[in-house]
Amino acid sequence: MCGIAGLISLRHDLPAREDAVNRMVRRQQHRGPDDRGIHSDGPATLGMCRLAIIDPANGHQPMTSPDGRFTLVFNGAIYNYRALRIELALSGWDFHTHCDTEVLLAAYALHGAACLSRLRGMFAFAIWDAREQRLFAARDPLGIKPLYYARLPDSGLLLASELNALLASGVVTREIDPTSVGEYLAWFSVPAPRTIYRGLANLPPGHQLTVDAAGRVETGPWWHLPAPTRPDIAANYHDFVGGLRAQLDESVRAHRVADVPVGAFLSGGMDSTAIVGLMARGGAAKLKTFSLIFGEAGFSEQDSARLAAQTFGTEHHEELITGARVAADLPRLLAAFDQPTGDGINTYYASQTARRGGVTVALSGLGGDELFGGYPSFRDLPRLHRLLPLWRRLPGGMRRAIVEQLRARPTVRARKLADFLTHARDLHELASLQRRVLPETVRLSLLAPEARAQAERLGPNHPRLEDFAFELPGADPFQIISAWELRTYMADVLLRDSDVFSMAHSLELRVPFVDRPLLEWLWPQRPWFKYDPRRPKHALADATADLVPAAIRNRRKQGFALPFAHWMLAELRPFLDETFSTASLGACPWLQAAEVQQVWTDYKTRRDTRAWSRVWTLAVLIAFANRRPAP
Amino acid sequence: MKALLLSPELFLHEGGIARIMRLYLKALCELAGPAGRVDALVLNDHPGHDGRLPRYTNAQFGEMAGCSRRKLRFIREAIRLGQRAEVLVCGHLHQLAVARLAQVLNPRLRYYLVAHGIEVWRPFSLLERRALLGARRILCISEYTRRQLLRFCPALPPERLVIVPNTLDPHFSPTLNNRISAAPFATPRILTVTRLSSADTYKGVDTLIEAMPLVRREFPLARLRIVGQGDDRPRLEALVQRLGVGFAVDFTGPLSDEALRAEYAACDLFALPSRKEGFGLVYLEAMIYGKACLGARAGGTPEVITAATGQLVEYGNIPDLAAAVADLVRHPRDSEVVRRHADTFAFPAFTRRLAADLA
Repeated sequence: MCGIAGLISLRHDLPAREDAVNRMVRRQQHRGPDDRGIHSDGPATLGMCRLAIIDPANGHQPMTSPDGRFTLVFNGAIYNYRALRIELALSGWDFHTHCDTEVLLAAYALHGAACLSRLRGMFAFAIWDAREQRLFAARDPLGIKPLYYARLPDSGLLLASELNALLASGVVTREIDPTSVGEYLAWFSVPAPRTIYRGLANLPPGHQLTVDAAGRVETGPWWHLPAPTRPDIAANYHDFVGGLRAQLDESVRAHRVADVPVGAFLSGGMDSTAIVGLMARGGAAKLKTFSLIFGEAGFSEQDSARLAAQTFGTEHHEELITGARVAADLPRLLAAFDQPTGDGINTYYASQTARRGGVTVALSGLGGDELFGGYPSFRDLPRLHRLLPLWRRLPGGMRRAIVEQLRARPTVRARKLADFLTHARDLHELASLQRRVLPETVRLSLLAPEARAQAERLGPNHPRLEDFAFELPGADPFQIISAWELRTYMADVLLRDSDVFSMAHSLELRVPFVDRPLLEWLWPQRPWFKYDPRRPKHALADATADLVPAAIRNRRKQGFALPFAHWMLAELRPFLDETFSTASLGACPWLQAAEVQQVWTDYKTRRDTRAWSRVWTLAVLIAFANRRPAP
Repeated sequence: MKALLLSPELFLHEGGIARIMRLYLKALCELAGPAGRVDALVLNDHPGHDGRLPRYTNAQFGEMAGCSRRKLRFIREAIRLGQRAEVLVCGHLHQLAVARLAQVLNPRLRYYLVAHGIEVWRPFSLLERRALLGARRILCISEYTRRQLLRFCPALPPERLVIVPNTLDPHFSPTLNNRISAAPFATPRILTVTRLSSADTYKGVDTLIEAMPLVRREFPLARLRIVGQGDDRPRLEALVQRLGVGFAVDFTGPLSDEALRAEYAACDLFALPSRKEGFGLVYLEAMIYGKACLGARAGGTPEVITAATGQLVEYGNIPDLAAAVADLVRHPRDSEVVRRHADTFAFPAFTRRLAADLA
């Protein structure tokens, strides 16, 4: 795991380019404290800082091919590098290290962009072709590792693993984009390819980018979700469960490859327990596991986590998180963001605990809900979808009256239903809208005129609605909802936060459920094998029934949540009072200050304490706008 | 081939659908063969021949039935004319149920739908779905429209949806005396041509107006010419006044073909940053004059505007839009390359494609 950076520009001379790239690398030092390097050729300079996981003694980057043609900077891990190494060696490549970086370099040198489909892992990399004077960059299929970039006015390109690094280059300006603010209020994060900053872009998952000798930049997808059906699917549920178990075993085995200590997050839920069980069954010597616990009743899954740790004989570490601790850590937490997020603080502490506990790599159960139908959306949206044709048959006047009634009600649930009924025409649009944080009327009321006008133009649906809908012709409802969860909340919130907050502690976080071979096997299987509304995630439970204790398998889902609703009225209240002050809101010209302050006032007067996530999302945005740039 | 064309309009108003359906009429007449016959049934047009009809027909043309918006008459005529037809080309989804009815009464009849854009990007009623499923082929004007149809009607066999991009009217090609425009001197002169309807605010004319202050910061003589008429004009005029760019924005109202040609000839670039163009025939019209085009990265527009012929921006992003105008002024596209690109959508290629799809 590393931080990468690059600048391709004819306008900047060599010292200016290297200076900019060095600044970017230094700004990402937390991502890779073990080594760093820089390489220049023609108009290109690439740099990186390395967290050494595989073959720590070798693998210095940027890595150049023996003939000097290709130079690679790479952030991530290729889990099947050993198998690929054998194939590439047979094709004539003379390896000098046992590092996955050299395997990726060889794979690209021999097969070009076609090598992407052979990679199992998480990656974001850039490779400079000195002969063709061309840059190629790509990101893994589901967006585990990030890659940000900015097109420069002279047809050049700036790229890095973090937005903070792009800004540290001194080549681009820091300007919050009012359109992105509108998107953030809708989705909890800013969906790719947009970022919170004007002019800075996020390469979407499964996309590649090229810059040719003339400086032309092109981006496009290199991976799509699989076809909805395939002939080689399991014939019956028994075969399916057996096949799924084999896939899970293989994924966890692949994700454990490392030359440093590997541990796991263990919340005590179904997903993390299954991962730890598969790791323990896979022969891990005294596995280290890590949990967060809370003083507040109803949040800790301490008992389940302990039961799982005891069952698998792990060395279990617990970390008590209190509101006072979060309040004290807020400056560091806010400095770790590179764009605002309403989520992810749990990952910050879990990563800190794991790193302090002596591991450099940790596995997480992230992705289980998206793959196996763990969210209520899998149950609710198909029902709502069946009602849409009936709704459309009602007279227009009656529909308008019902929507007005719903909008007039004070609950978010009613207003969200009004959004569904007004804007959703099919399951894609329902799936898009259900992930919104704020109902449309509330979101628009919080935005200042310019941002509001833009938000109205773009409408309430997800900005990539059509890309995602077109990717899935003929898909069944389970696949459609799963795709939306994978492509939106998981990619834009969970994975992005996981990268940022694990890297803040120089921890490599790996996610065996977010694995392309596993997903490609699972995707075309029969929907009733994968999902039963009466028993969510039954497929995962049945495939790991010999590992996961029945008490955990049969427990109701509990999210990996923090007791924020309580802390915000106690230890975090001074921070929030200051954040929602008129002075603080002065830095947010794209917000309607009075309306925003009312949200906090309503929360304090306890008119809607369930609204904590919406209040927190706003607070983080305001605090982000007030953040001083790092030196 | 004995063919019947159903269309909402052909000559009554100058809309995009009317213009493209005239070209379908022309292509069908050319494909009919010596023993063939082509009839046209038009819902909104009035009975009687428009003076422009001979441009789009030949000896194979039979009957032109205008129904003056009378739907019952339209259905009755469709049944009558459908009796002697082998091929029915339906110019709008709203008329497809009538095509299906004609087929029920004449089982030899094969019917085809021309899917333009926004009218098929939505869920379908049961009647519409049945009519869609009965179509021999659906002629989509862009890949984008094809994908939207598959999204909202997944039961459609994908191979039945073929792409027949819009084409240029051969009568619209530039001539020497087009190069006159009454517009005042301006650099750059930005042209947009669209219906200014309050139902079509997605066309992005307001975003062009909003970008003008930014454009004029860099090009103080820049001018935006807005061609078209509709009930949204007062709102747009108020926006112009509010932004204080009245001296830089002209509303020309509707123009004759000749005056429109002069506008195309005189402009520096054409802009329609619309969110929902099924294809964008106006881009092609501008391109045939060698003019670079600016559109939004949305709908079918990216299938028409390439990097060599213009620039795409994010819909509604005002700074992006102003920057793209500046870029097209500073790095003008090669007008010959632009014209050649437009030529790939020329009428003969369209006719060949249609012949293959009707076969």
